[in-house]
Amino acid sequence: MLDNLKYHRGIIKRIINHTGKVKSFELEVDGLGNINPGQFIMVWVLGYEEIPISPSKYSNNMVRLTIMNRGETTNRIHRMREGDKLYLRGPYGNGFDLSRGGRYLLVGGGYGSAPIIYAAHILHEKGFKVTYVEGVKSIRDSLFIKEAEDIGIENILVTEDGSSGIKGLVTSYVENIAKEYDYILGCGPEEMLIKLLDICLRNNVECQLSFERMIKCGVGICGSCELNDSGLLICRDGPIFNNKKLLEIGFGGVYHG
Amino acid sequence: MVDLSVKLSNLKLENPTVLASGILDTKRGLLMRVIGEGIGALTTKSFTIKPREGYKTPVIAYVKAGILNAIGLTNPGYKEIPNVIKDLIGKIPVIVSIAGSTPKEFGTIASYAEDSGANAIELNLSCPHVKGYGLEIGEDPDYVIEIVEEVSTVSSIPIFMKVGYHTKLIETVSRALDKGISGVTAINTLKAMAIDIFAKKPILSNKYGGLSGPAIHPVAVKIVYDIYREFKIPIIGVGGILSWDDAIEFILAGASAIGIGTGIAIYGLNIIKNILKGIEKYMEKEGFKNISQMIGYANIG
Repeated sequence: MLDNLKYHRGIIKRIINHTGKVKSFELEVDGLGNINPGQFIMVWVLGYEEIPISPSKYSNNMVRLTIMNRGETTNRIHRMREGDKLYLRGPYGNGFDLSRGGRYLLVGGGYGSAPIIYAAHILHEKGFKVTYVEGVKSIRDSLFIKEAEDIGIENILVTEDGSSGIKGLVTSYVENIAKEYDYILGCGPEEMLIKLLDICLRNNVECQLSFERMIKCGVGICGSCELNDSGLLICRDGPIFNNKKLLEIGFGGVYHG
Repeated sequence: MVDLSVKLSNLKLENPTVLASGILDTKRGLLMRVIGEGIGALTTKSFTIKPREGYKTPVIAYVKAGILNAIGLTNPGYKEIPNVIKDLIGKIPVIVSIAGSTPKEFGTIASYAEDSGANAIELNLSCPHVKGYGLEIGEDPDYVIEIVEEVSTVSSIPIFMKVGYHTKLIETVSRALDKGISGVTAINTLKAMAIDIFAKKPILSNKYGGLSGPAIHPVAVKIVYDIYREFKIPIIGVGGILSWDDAIEFILAGASAIGIGTGIAIYGLNIIKNILKGIEKYMEKEGFKNISQMIGYANIG
């Protein structure tokens, strides 16, 4: 029936501690199939809850989940070791559209840079021009700048406190360079997404933004992940929405938090 | 051209499709979207007196011939009924599903729903997985009758009783009809469990839940057939409708309308138009001019 509801057992092979609050877990897992950057999988922690995570990398049956410790379930994952198991189903949602040639500006805010760095890998493999911008509070919060450097793509760190890279808000930086790109991809806090949408509309650049809401079933039954009052579901119609769709539902204008 | 419109008690539907309770129906925006897809009538998620967050995840599980869920009657509480339905009223018939833990609670919510503009009430007497609600009370015929009596006293709009599978069903429906229900919605999900053999645990946080989809379709067809045969009342047939032929089967068994739920989860909202197209073609081919000619056709004689 709905075969994508089946769980696949993932075994933790490697743990990367980025900041203490954010860790990445590399899991070996069979059967998930292809995962596009921006799509998400449901991660079930036995005895705890099941949460949606958009992978920060996926290849050869190794999936990397970058997780912020912010609740009971993520706290349990943060206490896991190599060899521990998670149960994964999916992938769900649409993912970023990376099919078209052109210049891509990738913008990640905080741990929202997880699907962004995955997109950077894929776009680089395709040979498209990519700039990776990561916005964080301070140098110690940075997650994937070194990885972007290793991929060999242009990368810019923006820190709010100026401890490294460019000082300020990531959106202020993007404002100045947006015109030079065909597409802006963004994932991060909603205030950042709203500003990115505004920047794209003013500069006539296409944007693809990744939104977050409470996801429970992941397959369009429970309705808990509706994007505001739009009738659109994060889990089935999203999580990525482009400027056209967001304008259609009057997104910027009707946002109330 | 065939006529797809149906009369369901005093409700006029442009076509026999109804959004089944429990799917994409707690919020105004989602319901508006379903209307845009051409549905004939809407049923809301069940409203309870107090808001309910529902169960912890996982709330859904894989099974071979359907879906297993235990969402847990998530809803914002009955005071929110006007906000959810006010923009839908007048567009198509809106059936508000209600779930109480006492007859008085059912009455309070029903009367509030009617004041909010609801066109009909559906009594959720068969949710299989929430303690003190649904099936727990639906299996006690005397208690069901108390609930029906209370609700029919306070409301003047049609009352549909949503039933599951249980042995005294015909007797219960018979007594409920005497007390004022207008019709029946059949059937709700069936109590079931799925265990992940590698996790070695029941998947749902609630351990068990409600089974929907093709697995329950033949069970539902039999119940619709039996109820129609006995009472010739308006019936909304629900259970595993994935395509137009499943829908026709319900109508031939005696359903005046057909509820779609799991089919939407599997195929998306396009399923509504596809089912309607299929029904239309079938009617042309088989020589039916309108839906009422088909209702209970397999049940004649």
